[in-house]
Amino acid sequence: MNEDLYWTFIDIANGLLSGVMLGGYYAIIAIGLALTFGVMRLVNLAHGDMLVLAAYLAVLVLQFVPISPFITLALVIPVMFGVGYALQRFLLNAISVQSMERKGMSAGFGLMSPILVTFGLSIVIAHALLGGFASDARIIRNALSYSAVRLTEDLNLSTLRLIFFVIAVAILVALHLFLRRTHAGRAIRASADDAEIAPLMGIATPKINALASGIAIAIAGVAGVMVGMSRTFQPFDGPVFLLVAFGVVIVGGLGSIVGSLVGGVLLGITQVLAGTYFGPSAQLVAGYILILFVLAVRPQGLFARRR
Amino acid sequence: MSISAPDQPALLTVRGLSAYYGESRALYGVGFTVEKGTIHSIVGANGAGKSTLLRAIVGMMNRGRAAHTAGSIEFRGRRIDALPTEEIVGLGVTMVPEGRRLFASMSVEENLVCGAFLPRCRAALGETLETVYSLFPRLADRRQQPVSQMSGGEQQMVAIGRALMSSPELILLDELSLGLAPIVVDQIYERIAAINRRGVTCIVIEQDTERAMRVATAVSVLLEGRVVLEGDPDELGRERVSAAYFGLETAGKAAGPGG
Repeated sequence: MNEDLYWTFIDIANGLLSGVMLGGYYAIIAIGLALTFGVMRLVNLAHGDMLVLAAYLAVLVLQFVPISPFITLALVIPVMFGVGYALQRFLLNAISVQSMERKGMSAGFGLMSPILVTFGLSIVIAHALLGGFASDARIIRNALSYSAVRLTEDLNLSTLRLIFFVIAVAILVALHLFLRRTHAGRAIRASADDAEIAPLMGIATPKINALASGIAIAIAGVAGVMVGMSRTFQPFDGPVFLLVAFGVVIVGGLGSIVGSLVGGVLLGITQVLAGTYFGPSAQLVAGYILILFVLAVRPQGLFARRR
Repeated sequence: MSISAPDQPALLTVRGLSAYYGESRALYGVGFTVEKGTIHSIVGANGAGKSTLLRAIVGMMNRGRAAHTAGSIEFRGRRIDALPTEEIVGLGVTMVPEGRRLFASMSVEENLVCGAFLPRCRAALGETLETVYSLFPRLADRRQQPVSQMSGGEQQMVAIGRALMSSPELILLDELSLGLAPIVVDQIYERIAAINRRGVTCIVIEQDTERAMRVATAVSVLLEGRVVLEGDPDELGRERVSAAYFGLETAGKAAGPGG
């Protein structure tokens, strides 16, 4: 076999493999944003900061108890669920379109307010983290950082990425089943479809919105710990992950779990292949080119739900 | 239960109900009662306040400055006018909204199951589902079909079925015939009669006054936010009802023909 051709093949195969793995991780970063928008019709600009908050939470736990970072999830998930639930129940529900109308404000206020409030929240979280942890770059150390799974002599996978991918797919499948098979999950979808009519089913929409937000932020928490295990992070890194999440959502389409995974995988493959051939600086550019391309060709995203 | 009145109170009693959208007023002191087991028709021209009245009963007018009501609404002797919609539904009142408003991303069965969200309904879910399918056999064949692919008549059946899933005692039906062929409307009203025979009280809004009077055991005519005529449709007769509908008769008192 032609030596050059072989190495081209190996490069592409390696790129595709790690791109797919990266995609699972991207999907998990984005799904909370997509869920929040799908149900509450609000864009949580503090979404990225929620990831960073969760990463610092894991750091904090590990300072006291030397356990595997994966075990910190047992605390991170419920705490972040509580944060998401409380955020929606006590802050965002109070400034929703319906609440603004109640106060005699125009619907436009209700659309704008969550953007301003979550933007402010993003700043508050970043500064609180700065105050608590200083601006040093952190990483969640773990035994698997340099380990790889060898598929063939020249084809291999980062063990960490593989584990993240499996966790990501497991979370997406669990979320899909929850939304399809449970009363609470169907209530979330009903509110997303028609928030005015859902109460006629006996659904208390403020509580259901808070539940959806709790789930979204809990998943963001898992993503945050993954982020912290695979790269360094600082208090002001939130917007970086918000941008990744936007990218995935634009490519995959809002309101679709499959879309988040496919969007994540496409973005992951594009970035890794661009990195392989054009150097690390091409990664971001390639990602944005893909996003622009999708916006031009199919602005609703590849898997957008019909409206 | 603490109702000590010797004779059974009406299922629904509305007294002095006014409704506002912001500053503009839609209902002016509406009062009427609905007896258990009846089909009560509310007729009136466009903008007379029919839909507002139904929305007020299920708590959808409690929206602060955007919309609010004054007056009282009692269901089985209990004030419900300040309750949120989901609690009113919990007590046994529900509505089939104008334009059907199905959950568009869901199948027929998912829409129906959504209707049984209340904890008290979940236990009997399988049974209620079978009841709905026996009332609308056509839906049983299309359980897994997305509702967006169905005809208007079939969608209306899903909307009625979904409302029945909460096992209501009182069901409000807003413009069932909107956009449907007359033959389909006949079938739908035949089903409403069947539902009523099962003991569910109905309040019906219907554009077609003749049909409204044919299906109903009681009729109220709304004119510009006020009840101007009410009674037994057979005793009132079609001419008096249509006179009231057009504002030629007020407060049940006959006005001269030709006005």
